[in-house]
Amino acid sequence: MTVSKAFWKIVAKNIGVIVTYTIILVMFGTINMSSNSSTAQFEAVKPKIAVFNHDSENAFTNNLLEYLDKNAEIQQDYSEDSVKDDLFYEAIVMAIDIPENYGKDFVAGKNPELHTRTSSGYAAELAKVMLNKYLATAQSYTVLDLPADELAEKINKVLDNEIEVETLSKIDTTQFAKPTRYFNFANYAILACVITIICLIMGSFNRREIRRRNLVSAVEISKMNGALLRNSCLYSFGVWLLYVVIGYFLVGSKELLNLRGVLYLANSLAFCICATTIAYLISRLISGRNATDAVMNIVALGSSFLCGCFVPAEYLPDFVLTFAHILPSYYYVAANDKIGTLQGLEFSDIRPVLINIVIILGFSVAFVIAANIISKAKQRE
Amino acid sequence: MFWHSFKYALRSLLKNRSMMFWTLAFPFVLALLFNFAFARLHDYDVFEAFDVAVVDDDEFRDAEVFSEAFKSLSEADENRLFVTQYVNRERADELLEAEEIEGYVYLVDGEPHVKVKKNGTNQTVLTTAVSQISQRIEIATDIIETKISKDPMSAMNIEQISKEAIEAVSEVEPNIKDNSRVMNMVVIEFYTLIAMACMQGAMLSSEMIDRALPNISSRGKRIAAAPTRKSVIILSNLLAGYIVLLTGVLGLIAFMRFVLGVEFGSNLGLICAHAAAGSLAAIMMGMFLSVMLKTNSSAKNIIGVIVTMVGCLFAGMFGGQKGWFDSVMPFVNKISPVGLITDGYYALYYYEDMTRYFMNLGGLLAIAAVFMILSVQGLRRQRYDSI
Repeated sequence: MTVSKAFWKIVAKNIGVIVTYTIILVMFGTINMSSNSSTAQFEAVKPKIAVFNHDSENAFTNNLLEYLDKNAEIQQDYSEDSVKDDLFYEAIVMAIDIPENYGKDFVAGKNPELHTRTSSGYAAELAKVMLNKYLATAQSYTVLDLPADELAEKINKVLDNEIEVETLSKIDTTQFAKPTRYFNFANYAILACVITIICLIMGSFNRREIRRRNLVSAVEISKMNGALLRNSCLYSFGVWLLYVVIGYFLVGSKELLNLRGVLYLANSLAFCICATTIAYLISRLISGRNATDAVMNIVALGSSFLCGCFVPAEYLPDFVLTFAHILPSYYYVAANDKIGTLQGLEFSDIRPVLINIVIILGFSVAFVIAANIISKAKQRE
Repeated sequence: MFWHSFKYALRSLLKNRSMMFWTLAFPFVLALLFNFAFARLHDYDVFEAFDVAVVDDDEFRDAEVFSEAFKSLSEADENRLFVTQYVNRERADELLEAEEIEGYVYLVDGEPHVKVKKNGTNQTVLTTAVSQISQRIEIATDIIETKISKDPMSAMNIEQISKEAIEAVSEVEPNIKDNSRVMNMVVIEFYTLIAMACMQGAMLSSEMIDRALPNISSRGKRIAAAPTRKSVIILSNLLAGYIVLLTGVLGLIAFMRFVLGVEFGSNLGLICAHAAAGSLAAIMMGMFLSVMLKTNSSAKNIIGVIVTMVGCLFAGMFGGQKGWFDSVMPFVNKISPVGLITDGYYALYYYEDMTRYFMNLGGLLAIAAVFMILSVQGLRRQRYDSI
């Protein structure tokens, strides 16, 4: 009881750490969920463009503007001053300058020059393809010497005629991008919260004078260690529960209250157990607040960056992903990504997720064994 | 006396392992992690030909124009879009199910259809390419029909008309002049990291000043009792902190530039000048926090960390949201040292006109001057009734 009391007193004293990392999770988790880096949503997004029209009223140019409006998101009342910065930060992906007499010259078959400025990236490529498609179609028809309105009519008829696309997916998995991103980002918050607090507590109990006092006390050392371990697990469970509740509000109940949601929760619980054992191992290796902060930051940030928690794993270089296989975070993120793209929820579908969860638990066992070996070696010293 | 005090300030600073880790080592670790995480983020946008399949049945073989056009997109040259397998429908379904191809194309009554497993970038490219081939065929047919309807006698010369129509659709070259400079948005992450490294100076100088303040530390009481002028102690401590910080920041920039290959523009003098101004602003901010806040060192550190991390968030460290923050709260990055440091490097990299860079540099020097004046005002004539 005395050990448990001391444990929770230290937790209460360091509640600021939990609050800080929870705020980080809520803030950056929300930003991460609202960003649109997933390729799966690519098709649904219209590229953002700016148009500076210097041409006079003309059926051809008007039709081009209507086409752009239909296929892209044109920024209204846009200032020329913002173009350079917005292209860099990809707030817009293309700026189009339509020169004077453009429509008239195009219909006359002069193939006038159209100026564009584009950012890099797929959205910019999509915008280029879109503009190119319109102008190529229009240019093909110039051999018929049609007036501007007839030319516009023919262009629209061709461009409206899209081919048929069949999708094999039984369900649209883009709806699960949010919980996947939230739980991937939670990797950092879980590691930071669990490692910092547990290392601090273990460090306090391992301080030479405290340890010596405990050794001569009436409490058996095995019982004290048992109480510390139980309370550490209870604390980690509390952190997990807190992040699940926050996830429920951020992600939404629809995505979490089903079998897929249960898989996300099971995976994060397994990772929380693993984080507890990592903290247990670190506490055997180092002590002191400053050293704990440094090691925690390197472990939490390192594994989050290298395993695809902050930046999706598909963007990471191959050698980084190969290296990441030695870290439990890799299997945690891989399981989350897999849960987010499951087409069915039969045992055969969820088997890869369960394998990853078992690997995470395997890491936990390995960390406990390593911690005990180090502990015994230190006791002999 | 100044150099004596400076020497001991420098030695005690270098022996502070925790401070040295956060000031000198941690930014290098983060730079390395950023490099791993963002290395492919920009390259990812570079297009690579991907695997698709075509159902090679009678329909496909009969549609000569379509099949030739599609084959030309699969030829191994610089314009290659697809790595194409010609298979039957069952095999195409198997390949798609196993995700060995991004999608496949089949024809029904001469009309092309595309089957994909999910929506995505490559699937959009496949659909767009097939759609363009289909539209070109439609345009050529329409041109032929329009010409014949205008001049029915020309039907006698159908081969010539067909040839002209095919030329009309195949030889088009939209006259688009792209005036863009290809830029890498990921560099902003590294610039914010330099800003963060500079801002460690606030923690550093706060710690150095706290040591010299009699109401904060016992060492400060001893120093206050010594017959050395307060200005000498403060200045020597600040100079030691500034030199350590600037060495770390310049080392970080060299590491980013020469090891990680981060681009900064070509003006080495201005790159170093900006680091010097940023570090100075941070050192002065730390002094200001230390002098003005009547609290313990860790509380001052927490305030310094909050100012730094909020500045980093607004400057675009966490996912390139700078544009959005600038549109919502445009003044923040104009007064935040992190925003000014980041924007200065951005201006050096992206702008040919140096006005924006010098505005940022001036902003940093002004912040340093304001913090210095306020701190000196706070430090002057401090007297204690009881410590």
